[in-house]
Amino acid sequence: MSATPTIAPTVPAAALPDQAPRQLRWLVRLHRTPLLTGTALVLLTAAALLWLGGPLTDASAEAWQRYNACGFSPDCSYDQDAIVRYKDVYNYTTYAVLAVPFLVAAWAGGSLTGREMESGTARLAWTQGASPVRWLASRLALPAVLILAATGLLAWLHRLAWTAAEGRVDTTKAWNDFGTFHANGTVPMALALAGLAAGVLAGLLLRRAMAALTVAAVALGALWAAVHTTLPHLWPTVTETSGLRHGPSGQGIVVGQGVVNADGDRLDLPCHTSTLPGCKSTLSDLHAVSFYRDLHPAAHYWPLQLVASGVVLVVAALLAYAAFRLLRHRTGTARRNAG
Amino acid sequence: MTVPAIEADAVGKRFGRRAAWALRDCSFRLPAGRVCAVVGPNGAGKSTLLAITAGLLAPTEGTVAVLGTDPATARPRVGFVDQDKPLYPQLTVAETLRMGADLNPGRWDADTAQRVVAGGDLDPRKRIRALSGGQRTRVALALALGKRPELLLLDEPMADLDPLARHELMGTLMGQAAAHGTTIVMSSHVVAELEDSCDHLLLIGGGRVRLAGEIDDLLAAHTRVSAPAGTELAPHDVVESRTTGRQLSALVRPAGPLPGDWRTGAPSLEELVLSYLRNPGAPAPAPAPETTEAAA
Repeated sequence: MSATPTIAPTVPAAALPDQAPRQLRWLVRLHRTPLLTGTALVLLTAAALLWLGGPLTDASAEAWQRYNACGFSPDCSYDQDAIVRYKDVYNYTTYAVLAVPFLVAAWAGGSLTGREMESGTARLAWTQGASPVRWLASRLALPAVLILAATGLLAWLHRLAWTAAEGRVDTTKAWNDFGTFHANGTVPMALALAGLAAGVLAGLLLRRAMAALTVAAVALGALWAAVHTTLPHLWPTVTETSGLRHGPSGQGIVVGQGVVNADGDRLDLPCHTSTLPGCKSTLSDLHAVSFYRDLHPAAHYWPLQLVASGVVLVVAALLAYAAFRLLRHRTGTARRNAG
Repeated sequence: MTVPAIEADAVGKRFGRRAAWALRDCSFRLPAGRVCAVVGPNGAGKSTLLAITAGLLAPTEGTVAVLGTDPATARPRVGFVDQDKPLYPQLTVAETLRMGADLNPGRWDADTAQRVVAGGDLDPRKRIRALSGGQRTRVALALALGKRPELLLLDEPMADLDPLARHELMGTLMGQAAAHGTTIVMSSHVVAELEDSCDHLLLIGGGRVRLAGEIDDLLAAHTRVSAPAGTELAPHDVVESRTTGRQLSALVRPAGPLPGDWRTGAPSLEELVLSYLRNPGAPAPAPAPETTEAAA
């Protein structure tokens, strides 16, 4: 048999810079359906938020104005439907904004890596000009950009809609309401990126689409819960003190409250006001001089948002790093060939 | 060509720290330009060995050199068809080939890929998910061949094909090997389908290399003998022996001239392979038959 090699042994170096756009083009083609569905959902939510911040807020504000003008008059006429519609749409759109990171996690785990590992098409890609590391890089980079744009847009519109209603609609959610707090800032963006990284890692690790989908979404939920629980302790609080007659006061995210005694020690909160007879004697037994409350006022909104986003982003980066490490370890691309 | 296509040195792989070894102590050398059959029972480690060679799986121990470098670096020059023939189900046949052309710039051979697909009367607009197993094999082979690989690794490539397609595609593969000097490694558990086309054999059993070398050399090194029952076969290496009535039949590796009163015959490749597989304790040729550095 003739063994004369007639094949050029190496790819011309000039052909290499082309690789990235080619891979991204096929990534888009392979995930065309989720891309179109996702775009439609985002645009739909964005439209709903614009509707909410504009006509719905105006109608609800007007209805509240009329309602408040009625006083105790028995024949009061105001547009109750407008108030209810505002409330419903506000709640649904908030849920929608907060659901995006979970959809991202499920898609990334199920479709982006999990299904490719399960069916073996990842191996096909790795032997068709896309090295494992590049394959993974393209699967993190392009979705990350799109996801940032989508969640950024939605959170911004959500904030606009919420701000438009502040002080005009009586049922506007407080800044520290769970959904409102998270949907109004940078947290959805960070969570969506963490969802992407968690999904990609779960897919590589479990190599089964359904399992990766579930694990990624649950892990993202756990991360969010953990961040939400610890967040108030991650930024210095403000302490409000108040007289014994008034009880602990101050609005915001309360971290702790109690009484301060004559020695300046902080004690647990036994009861709420010295105007109650039982409470008065308890407070004097404790030598209490004032109530205190540690809290985050509305001014802490952005610091808290940025701290939460930072923590989530660090986790996302670690997950992505773990995904690269795992893939390199498994395919033996570890040492020299980083591209 | 002095650089061997594959050189494995004590390669071992296990999936998980406590799992059994899927492959162990696997050493062999495949000169470039050969068509090599990897045979062995199911679960013998054939697929693991091919995946390691393709740079898709890192060995737990040992090293493999592919085309003179490590498998990850050699990957662009290696074609691989997985046992399950994975393809993206949402793409059409034409799109799949276009993807191959796009992702392998500078080396894509559209004509060959087209020819392999055209042989199956495939509608290029048909989606992969609508294809039969054999048709998918065709597209998978087209992708691997279109890449103009210097080394083509095929895991059970012919399993889903009807005899006609099998014959035709085997012809295409042999043509590729002859025209471009492509080294082809294909695994199968059907020995007969490889006998005519392969010139090199790698027999894997129980995660180890049982036999490796040029098929002609291996066949020449073994003899089928018949002798009266009770005949002492030493000092020849006995791969397998069986006594039926007063007759002893055996497959031996002669250590010297055989006695004239034994009836001898040349074994077929299938007989050779089956004898080794039936007898896991049979001595492996030591040292392994050194492959000849020919055909440069």
